[in-house]
Amino acid sequence: MSVRVNLVLAVVLLASCFWLVRSSYESRRLFVELERAQRAARELQIDYERLQLEKRVQATPLRVEKLARDKLKMVATTPAVTHYVAPSGAWVAPAPPVASVPATGGAR
Amino acid sequence: MSRLSGLWRRLRGQPRRQKPSAMPSVRYASSPLLASRTPPWRVKFMIGAIGLGFAVLIGRAAWIQIIENDFYLEQGASRYERRIALEATRGRILDRNGELLASSVPAPSLWAIPKDLQATPQQRRELAKLLGMTVPELDKRLAGSPNFVWLRRKVDDDVAEAVAALGIKGVHQLREAKRHYPEGEAAAHVVGFTNIEDKGQEGVELAYQERLSGRDGTRRVIKDRLGRVVEAVGDLVPAVDGESVRLSIDAKVQFYAYQRIRDAVAEHKAKAGSVVVLDVQTGEILALANVPTYRPDDRRNLTGAQLRNRALTDTFEPGSTMKPIIAAWALETGRVRPDTIISTAPGRMTLDGSTINDAHAHGDLTVAEVIQKSSNVGTVKLAMQMQPREMWELFSAVGLGQKPQIDFPGAVTGRLRPYKSWRRIEQATMSYGYGLSASLFQIAQSYTIFATDGEYVPMSLLAHDPVQRAGHVSRSARVISPESARAVRQMLQMAAGPGGTAPLAQTVGYSVGGKSGTARKQEGRGYASNKYRSWFVGIAPISQPRIVVAVMVDEPSNGKYYGGAVAAPVFSQVVQQTLSRLNVLPDQAVEPRIVASERLVPAEVESF
Repeated sequence: MSVRVNLVLAVVLLASCFWLVRSSYESRRLFVELERAQRAARELQIDYERLQLEKRVQATPLRVEKLARDKLKMVATTPAVTHYVAPSGAWVAPAPPVASVPATGGAR
Repeated sequence: MSRLSGLWRRLRGQPRRQKPSAMPSVRYASSPLLASRTPPWRVKFMIGAIGLGFAVLIGRAAWIQIIENDFYLEQGASRYERRIALEATRGRILDRNGELLASSVPAPSLWAIPKDLQATPQQRRELAKLLGMTVPELDKRLAGSPNFVWLRRKVDDDVAEAVAALGIKGVHQLREAKRHYPEGEAAAHVVGFTNIEDKGQEGVELAYQERLSGRDGTRRVIKDRLGRVVEAVGDLVPAVDGESVRLSIDAKVQFYAYQRIRDAVAEHKAKAGSVVVLDVQTGEILALANVPTYRPDDRRNLTGAQLRNRALTDTFEPGSTMKPIIAAWALETGRVRPDTIISTAPGRMTLDGSTINDAHAHGDLTVAEVIQKSSNVGTVKLAMQMQPREMWELFSAVGLGQKPQIDFPGAVTGRLRPYKSWRRIEQATMSYGYGLSASLFQIAQSYTIFATDGEYVPMSLLAHDPVQRAGHVSRSARVISPESARAVRQMLQMAAGPGGTAPLAQTVGYSVGGKSGTARKQEGRGYASNKYRSWFVGIAPISQPRIVVAVMVDEPSNGKYYGGAVAAPVFSQVVQQTLSRLNVLPDQAVEPRIVASERLVPAEVESF
């Protein structure tokens, strides 16, 4: 009787040992995978930062203005070539000259 | 002696002589060889001795394993555990619209262990070339230490790859964070820069070092023989990245201001120049540009005078720009009205033996015309009606002699002597801006009292969120009444109009007002005869002021030196650009150059 119980216990112990080996192997494998994924995430984050910076470098006011002027032949707007529109969609005329404003102000 | 020998004999198993076979002896075997008779007490003694020995061993083991185990645990851990530093990324600096002004990106740094270094002369040459130095320079660097030498820190990725491709033994790489400044020299003085260890050295990088830097974290891991991480142990201290700092600066306004002042400095062969653009409605600094400047990315020339943020750190005598403030106080206290006549003939006056001159003699002028024509005599006549203490309090209320309340390293206080030590002539000269000094930023900020119906507006270098924007008005301090402010605005508009000192300040579509200033530069104890400083401070649009712009050009030496001729055009261009950038509606009628099409009617062809 006691021999049989011991035998069963031995088998259970052995199985548990194998299970432990397996699960610790599994945990290492998963850990390595997690580590790799985290590293990839970091790399991507860095790339994102880098690309954002590059985008910004390509879009600095200096560069934009130069391209607009030289390549696209654009000129800066002035109120003389602008129509102002209120949020409602109505046109807004520039305010009439204030009495004390010198009339030559706009013609310079 | 006989006792000892008796003991010995007993240990050998011989019975005591005195009492032979008093006790029954134990027989271990039947072999006669082993048949020595052992007394039972001896067995007990031996068991006891061996037991004691084991107890000592167990005690020692328990001591090592359970009680005093720290040392061995530590020693054990150090053989398989590694502590890895998790580096925090330095926060970004953004402009008011979220555009990047400074950002950190990892860059490889190259280092070497000189005693391990094995390179052919050919490889050495190539390495030196990639690092941008000569072979002797490289050798000198390698001779510095046998164990660790930086070859070059924070290089470009392709350089690092090329060096790695050389495959020289003893040359290694690691990743560090490199700071990039997309706006370059245009915003250099505001943003500042960091040193090679990523510590802020100037500007916002220095002022907000704490917030930007973040905190490094650590984690403990177990590494295997090949250095691969196999398990994390203990708890992780995560790295806390630095916060982003959002400035009130508008990158476009900043750039435009920089470009204009740079061109003006070049055109007038000047030594230096500064522009300050303030948004008076929100209390934010939109631009702060200086020339000469530097490239913060390029570590080689981060020294010298070009690092100075002149708009904040350099003081000068504000000259004529003080006159409107005096006039405002004279109006405020009811001493004069804008149309009160003041006699300035014959263009000079004597006070306590000193003579005060006007550039041109004007005769009788109204108060408004005194400001428009910038008459020293007229201003002095206004100021001499005031008590010194009154004037001192006025100057203090508009921030002169006070440290600007902005978080910026090196912002200066300027000089305003206590009123008790003023002599009469000093009070007179101070009224037209001599005998006290202020930075361009302080002068610009003092003009907020004209731009806001009389309130001195605190300025911020950080972008306000909408709640703060609403609340900032309450932080302003009233200096003069809205009526006085409005009256002075009219005078400033006249000064910038025809018949004033700076008609070149005019813009298309927006009404502007401002005051020019020109001063001989102080040299030693006197004034230099041929060195000038020109500036212009103004507000726009006059009907509902939005911005204050101050422009200063130091030592223009290409013929023109009046503020109205040198600084006012810069003011005009900056105002034009800034207001259209801020979507401010023009308040002046403009002759339209495009013809609006009614529906169905084709548009006229635009003619240029």
